[in-house]
Amino acid sequence: MAAIKQTFFQECEEQLAELETGLLAIESGETDEDTVNAVFRAVHSIKGGAGAFGLEDLVRFAHTFETTLDLVRSGQIQPDAGLIKLMLRSSDTLADLVRYSRDGGDKDDARVSQLHDELTRAADPNAVAAETKPAKKQPKNAARVPQPEPEPVEEPETSPEDDFVPITISFDDLLGGGGGETQDDGQQVYKIWFKPKPELYAKANDAIKLLREISALGDADIACDISEVPLLGELDPEGAYLSWNIRLATTEPEAKIREVFEFVEFDCDLTVEAEPTPDPDFEFVPEPIVPVDQRADEAGEGPLIPDAVLAKIAEIASAEPAKAMTAANSQAQPAQAAAQTTIRVDLDRVDRLIDLVGELVINQSMLTQRVTEAGIARLSDVAVGLDDLEQLTREIQDSVMAIRAQPVRPIFQRMSRVVREVADMTGKSVRLVTEGENCEVDKTVIERLADPLTHMIRNAIDHGLEKPEERVKAGKPEQGVVRMSAAHRSGRVIIEVSDDGAGINRARVKEIAIKKGVIEAGVQLSDGEIDDLIFAPGFSTASTVSDVSGRGVGMDVVKRSIQALGGRISISSKPGKGTVFTLSLPLTLAVLDGMVVTVAGQTLVVPLTAIVETLQPKASDVHGLGERAKVIAIRGSFIPLIDVGNKLGYREEEADPINSVAIMVESENRAQSALMVDGIIGQQQVVIKSLETNYGQVFGVAAATILGDGRVAVILDVDAIVAGNRSDTAKADVANRKRNAA
Amino acid sequence: MAATVKLPPVLDITAAAPLAAELMVARGKDISVDGSKVEKIGAQCIQVLLSAVSTWGHDGMEFELARPSPVLVERLGIAGLEPANFSARNA
Repeated sequence: MAAIKQTFFQECEEQLAELETGLLAIESGETDEDTVNAVFRAVHSIKGGAGAFGLEDLVRFAHTFETTLDLVRSGQIQPDAGLIKLMLRSSDTLADLVRYSRDGGDKDDARVSQLHDELTRAADPNAVAAETKPAKKQPKNAARVPQPEPEPVEEPETSPEDDFVPITISFDDLLGGGGGETQDDGQQVYKIWFKPKPELYAKANDAIKLLREISALGDADIACDISEVPLLGELDPEGAYLSWNIRLATTEPEAKIREVFEFVEFDCDLTVEAEPTPDPDFEFVPEPIVPVDQRADEAGEGPLIPDAVLAKIAEIASAEPAKAMTAANSQAQPAQAAAQTTIRVDLDRVDRLIDLVGELVINQSMLTQRVTEAGIARLSDVAVGLDDLEQLTREIQDSVMAIRAQPVRPIFQRMSRVVREVADMTGKSVRLVTEGENCEVDKTVIERLADPLTHMIRNAIDHGLEKPEERVKAGKPEQGVVRMSAAHRSGRVIIEVSDDGAGINRARVKEIAIKKGVIEAGVQLSDGEIDDLIFAPGFSTASTVSDVSGRGVGMDVVKRSIQALGGRISISSKPGKGTVFTLSLPLTLAVLDGMVVTVAGQTLVVPLTAIVETLQPKASDVHGLGERAKVIAIRGSFIPLIDVGNKLGYREEEADPINSVAIMVESENRAQSALMVDGIIGQQQVVIKSLETNYGQVFGVAAATILGDGRVAVILDVDAIVAGNRSDTAKADVANRKRNAA
Repeated sequence: MAATVKLPPVLDITAAAPLAAELMVARGKDISVDGSKVEKIGAQCIQVLLSAVSTWGHDGMEFELARPSPVLVERLGIAGLEPANFSARNA
């Protein structure tokens, strides 16, 4: 049961995404039937599932929301800007309720009931009969059947093929008084055909329960059709093979019968027909058949079909939609299936596969090493075979990684909600522009991006964008723009969050940094360095802790979470033009291309993405700076030289730069540093094994890996080492100055 | 010698696959399925039992639903079935 509930919540997430996409599409003017239907279906599915699990709050809210949407769908109310905004807010609240039902926690009852009222009001502006179920179900135009065409009556305007639902109308119902009449005792007999689909059971509904409810409505004669049940060998125990033909004599209206199936409407095939009772006085005299147009001419002014018959058609048509919808649904589903065949796989299984492929990569590189050690010629069959194996292994690895890759779209969508909320709170008018939503990134990366991105968006609106009047004064449009884009660039994904606000107020940032003791007064900083100060721990530019950005976390937390993902964050700001935050993230957290180096007898891996170049320092290029610091002159600029062995505590004394290799690395603020190592072994793809999960965090070490010879090597955290060096130097500098002053 | 399979009290959707597996093991011999303990049964387990009945019939073996509990009889009734639907006789 828990597993089924889990699936329900997963599906809810999908439906909510669908809902939001649809609403945003409607907002941008796409009010075609498909979009509106998709939105309606999303809410309806959530309601259905929630009903099955007895999530009352969710059902109630979804129902109200659905009622309003239904009126939009049927064209009875027009989605104006106000209503769309209301629906977007309702979609947010629906998402909250889903999450509340799943995770517990706080629920904003006031907000829910307020939206509830607003939705009800929106649904009932001209006292539209929204509450009675049959009216609610009434499809578009059912009440005004247009072209006189006795049979079948087509539902007009259901334009796309898969939504076209012919409705069969019996002549018995149209002509004469006998058809569809109730029996003498007020009972009407209905013929019900009900065939569950596997989804019905998968959503924890049971046919027996539904049948029991039907039986409770009156005198039911239930016949089970077992003809489709296969032999045990071919049976899917969780499949759906049974169907039922029910003859129900009841005084209840047909709507009551349909209500029983309301929550499973999309998960079963269902027909409900009133059984006609023959009228003994009725005599059917066929008219001579005349071509329709001719007859219309003859009839002159009069309508082709009398109003009474039209009304009857409308009545029957209105009773048909559930059947029609089922038909539409069963038609639509194969179409969808053809477009995208997917299976749900437990993430654990994928991860196990990824782990195994990782082992395969390690094993393959071990094998290569053994072959090399055995002195087998490069061109021998064995070596060539191994090359092929390596190629294959890489392909397998890429394919496996692709399984975990997901488009960033959902997370971008979630941000549109953040934008709406923050814009409301701050009274600013904001437009969110997104680009590259289809860019794919590892699932874990995506999941862990939500918080940092939320915070960055909040900051961009709260601190970045000016107030509307200030914008107008500055000659900008009143509405601010926050832009989010994602793109693949050289094996990494680059996500940019930018605003067209005032840019960073550097004088103020510096002032605050000094006040908060982040930097010493009088320190000379470049513009870039000042901008970077906002990433410093404990830094917040807002003079008051605002409701929006100041929730106890600053940009330093954002930076740390990005770094924890193996990513980098940088900032660039132009006064008056706005600020751009750039995140550079690895596509996957499982492998990386690295340079294998030796330091003090240890083997280390330096991520290739950080490396700019490698060189052998010349004695003339190396200069001392202060007491211990050294710099190297390269192409006219001085770059700090960092001894990795010393920083990681492998050796006390600094290595001699002349006998070392310098690896030029670029850290997140594009500053370069040179890491000194003893030698380079080669370049290799390594499988990342988390140190945090298996041991604990270690300074300067991002993770570990297993090399081809079976040894464990640590993967260097370049940014941490560079930052560590900078603060060491700064401390030494301060100590020096204090000593000099004393 | 007929095999006996005791139906567990709860035969909901999660019980369908284990039940099918248990019955599969017993295939090839006459079988008596004891329904005396059943307190809850869903449509999918009914499907499994119906499938077993036709499988046994197909194999020319006997299938018998023994001592169905009152709940079981009632549920089968709702589904438009009766205990007699759950027997395959060796003709």
